[in-house]
Amino acid sequence: MEYILEARDVSHRYGRGEDSPYSLHHVSVGIREGVRTVILGANGAGKSTLFYHFNGVYRPSEGEMFYRDIPMSYEREHLYQLREDVAVVVQNPDEQIFSSTVEEDVAFGPMNMNLHPDIVEGRIRDSLFKVGMEEYRYRPTTQLSYGQKKRVAIAGALAMEPKVLILDEPTAGLDPQMSQEVMELVDQMCLAGTTVVISTHDVDLAYSWAEEIHVLRMGRLVYSGPPEPFFGDRDAVSLAGLTVPHTFSVNRSVEGIRGRSESPYPRTESQLLAKMSPPEARFGRISVRAVPEDGAVPDDGGELVGIYGFRTRRLFDETGSRADVYFDAIEGCCLGAMQGRDAVLYCDPELVDVVRERIRGLSAFGRAPEVV
Amino acid sequence: MGDPIIETQDLTFRYSGNDSPSLDGVSLRIGRGVRTVILGANGAGKSTLFYHFNGLFRPSSGRVLFDGQPVGYRRRGLRELRSRVAVVLQNPDDQIFGQTVEDDVAYGPRNLGLDEREVEARVERALALVGMSGMRDRNTMKLSYGQRKRLSIAGAIAMEPEVLVMDEPTAGLDPQMSLELMELAEQLHHSGTTVVISTHDVDLAYAWADEIHVLRKGRLIYSGESEGFYSDPVQVYLTGLIQPSMFLINKSLCDMRGLPEVPFPRTETQLVSKMASGPKGRFVILPVRDAMSPSMVDSAVSWLGGTEIRLGLYGTTCRRLLPDSGVPVDYVFDGFESCMSQCLMGRDVVLLCDEGCVDIVASKIRRLEDFGTVVETKVL
Amino acid sequence: MGGGRTSDSGTSEHIRMDALAYSSRMLIWAPLGKLILVIAVLVVNVMTDSVITAFAVLALGLALMAYSTNMRIPFMLGVAIAEALLILIVACGIISINGDHSQPCIWSADFLWLDFYMTADSFNQAWLVLLRSVAGITMMMAFATSTPIPHLAQALRQIRIPDEICEIVVLIYRYAFLLLERMDTMWSAAGSRLGFSGIRRSISTVASIAVGIFTSSMNLADKAQVSLECRGYRGYFPIYNRPQRAGIGWISVAVIAFALLYILGIHTEGVVDFAGLAFGA
Repeated sequence: MEYILEARDVSHRYGRGEDSPYSLHHVSVGIREGVRTVILGANGAGKSTLFYHFNGVYRPSEGEMFYRDIPMSYEREHLYQLREDVAVVVQNPDEQIFSSTVEEDVAFGPMNMNLHPDIVEGRIRDSLFKVGMEEYRYRPTTQLSYGQKKRVAIAGALAMEPKVLILDEPTAGLDPQMSQEVMELVDQMCLAGTTVVISTHDVDLAYSWAEEIHVLRMGRLVYSGPPEPFFGDRDAVSLAGLTVPHTFSVNRSVEGIRGRSESPYPRTESQLLAKMSPPEARFGRISVRAVPEDGAVPDDGGELVGIYGFRTRRLFDETGSRADVYFDAIEGCCLGAMQGRDAVLYCDPELVDVVRERIRGLSAFGRAPEVV
Repeated sequence: MGDPIIETQDLTFRYSGNDSPSLDGVSLRIGRGVRTVILGANGAGKSTLFYHFNGLFRPSSGRVLFDGQPVGYRRRGLRELRSRVAVVLQNPDDQIFGQTVEDDVAYGPRNLGLDEREVEARVERALALVGMSGMRDRNTMKLSYGQRKRLSIAGAIAMEPEVLVMDEPTAGLDPQMSLELMELAEQLHHSGTTVVISTHDVDLAYAWADEIHVLRKGRLIYSGESEGFYSDPVQVYLTGLIQPSMFLINKSLCDMRGLPEVPFPRTETQLVSKMASGPKGRFVILPVRDAMSPSMVDSAVSWLGGTEIRLGLYGTTCRRLLPDSGVPVDYVFDGFESCMSQCLMGRDVVLLCDEGCVDIVASKIRRLEDFGTVVETKVL
Repeated sequence: MGGGRTSDSGTSEHIRMDALAYSSRMLIWAPLGKLILVIAVLVVNVMTDSVITAFAVLALGLALMAYSTNMRIPFMLGVAIAEALLILIVACGIISINGDHSQPCIWSADFLWLDFYMTADSFNQAWLVLLRSVAGITMMMAFATSTPIPHLAQALRQIRIPDEICEIVVLIYRYAFLLLERMDTMWSAAGSRLGFSGIRRSISTVASIAVGIFTSSMNLADKAQVSLECRGYRGYFPIYNRPQRAGIGWISVAVIAFALLYILGIHTEGVVDFAGLAFGA
């Protein structure tokens, strides 16, 4: 099975008339299981329309949709099952929150799945914990801030424990820290085995996160594959209504001036800096540790402390422990280490290896801080 | 820094009764002609603050001064104030009051009680500035999001305000639209309007602002140049923000190489200039007034000696003329930055530029000298 | 989306009332139970002619409200109650001076063309009406400050009102906030462009706002339909945490309260004579 979700030659038009415009035009796209995927495109390129085909809310006018290689049937029962597996979080949480209390809203999906109340209870707790909204469980949804509503909307999707999680502009309207927190959660979902698909027009976000991008322009698919070849093609980027990500263009300019090869392409600031760092720079060391279960973190003093993962985050909140890098901590600690500081990165136990791998991965760009 | 055009003194505001205040003792000055950003996380009080600038909200205590005079909350005072301070909200749908594009732009001027001739002239100017002259009779419901956004700005510009306040101007816009919008803000700034932007997008704020005012939970915690604020990571963190990536890269890089952080690069070309240098290309500016043709480009190329060039575009007039001109432009959006980065790599470039924007571009090029880049420039 | 942007156009009061209901200590009581109790007490309140019963109801209402809001009756609610009281006092004043001319007068006066004629009966009647109304209002407030609309919908569902209607109530309630917020913003935007200078302009501005709200509610409905499907909606709204059902307990509480107050009323009719107290007649 190559693709978990696939559109084959799908067209979609609103309305039935012969001349009604296409919102999707012969789009063939496949989402690979477990691959971080971004659907990229300007406003009105057809991103949302494509999403709603993935969970069967829209039915293609032409072409066929597949879930795990089985053509989608638009029978009622099959649709319900499909939507249990493929959850969509829409951009504006106000459109997605139907119930009057947080708890009730998170329970909405699982209750629709006719789960046993005990299981529903577990799911509510679990998903509210992940988004850090446990204290708000009994609050009315009308009294939440925008960011809190967004979290509730995400928790509502997590509670369905989907195989594929699709997020439409997950960071739109959120302030920077909140965006980073959401992306960290999304990352963790990926690592836990959920296939995550994000639609966005934020090229920096897409570039730093995606393994594979699919670019839409006016309802047509214009590119599928790893991000670099696309962003390297200036005309294609410009036609798609997009721009080149910062790290990509800084790397290109600097290497162009120095007359060196652009590859390997840095996608994050730390990768860019690893590439630009002079050999004489002294790097600090990063110690990656699983967060202790009681949250009792020794205060080592001078080191930079970063935290990564929702469990670690909650533990630090509860115990009030000190952290210097609270958001986007892998990046933050790497940058700190490159400036010569030693850093400690606490993370959820299952993430320790992944985080170490990521930091070591910097050596592909030059030098990586030592991981201990 | 000019005299303050808007000033608040110990401004406190609570929505009602005994609530905790949404603005708490805010004293700030917005200089005339200073690119100003009000920075803060969601719910920090940004919108509440600028509703005070145009008198929509009245302070619970403290006062607001416009042009040195306390704001009057009588009918006439407010009318006067609102014609001088225009506000553009984040969501264009909240501020479209006309059936057609021209109706909507005329809404403000008509409310000002201007005669139809003047209204007509203002509508014309405002629509030209946002590049929507050709869409006067379009139904506002049938515009795309980006067009509605530009329309909402045209509606504010038509009031011909001295201060234009924009709430999250680039939220929800795709990258090219955002660039276009910031270019417009730059143009307005150079035409003498004081532009104030409220945002939580630190990269945008850093690249654009002369001066920032940072709000946290209704309190003003910083006023001044961007770097002073971002240099204090704890403050930045507590405010719910992050350091802009240009700032961060520069800082890390300087630490690694043992270089001074100053001057702080705020744009990509400034950063690249600081990091690497090689032979530069030549930079030709082609002013455009009301016509644009391939022959103009040819003359520039022949002046350069027939080399292969990259062609960019800057300004709303050029953008509007482009579709019918047949000029093969390489960089329609972010023309200056794109051309300059090519120039840094040694290519000759030509920038088609609104006549009124030549100074903006020239000053951007001069600014690069601080970062060690001297480019041979020619205005044709 | 600058956080809770609400101004002075009424939205905030709406939200405040809602917040109050959700933070009530009586929130977990069965909504239908509360409803039955309140109705029973209100009925008995007007069935008997005893001032003592009215007093008892008032005391009960005040106690419940105090418990419900944890003694923190918000300022605006206080103002609203005070306003209601004022109207009542005026109304009762009018009742008291419109006595039956066949009865002995305790106070009379001529003022302009008005003929004031107060009898012991009319005076007592006025007091009774005043007390009853105040007691009734307090009782209803106690209910309103402890029962959010969705809970009320739940109560309706229990008395076999069709599910569709209850769901519509909840959805309207949910979207009312969004639309109100939006109206608020449009109002500010119109004000910023001087949309309220002059009556004619104000009218056309309000019309535009109404159109804007209408279109946005249509959009919202469209999008909500899609989002509902995204979340596996199967044609009915499931309820996870049902508020307590009103059982026999609640019905008996209501019946007992009704009976006690009624008996109290029968036995104390006419015990308190305000006219006697006031005028010594």
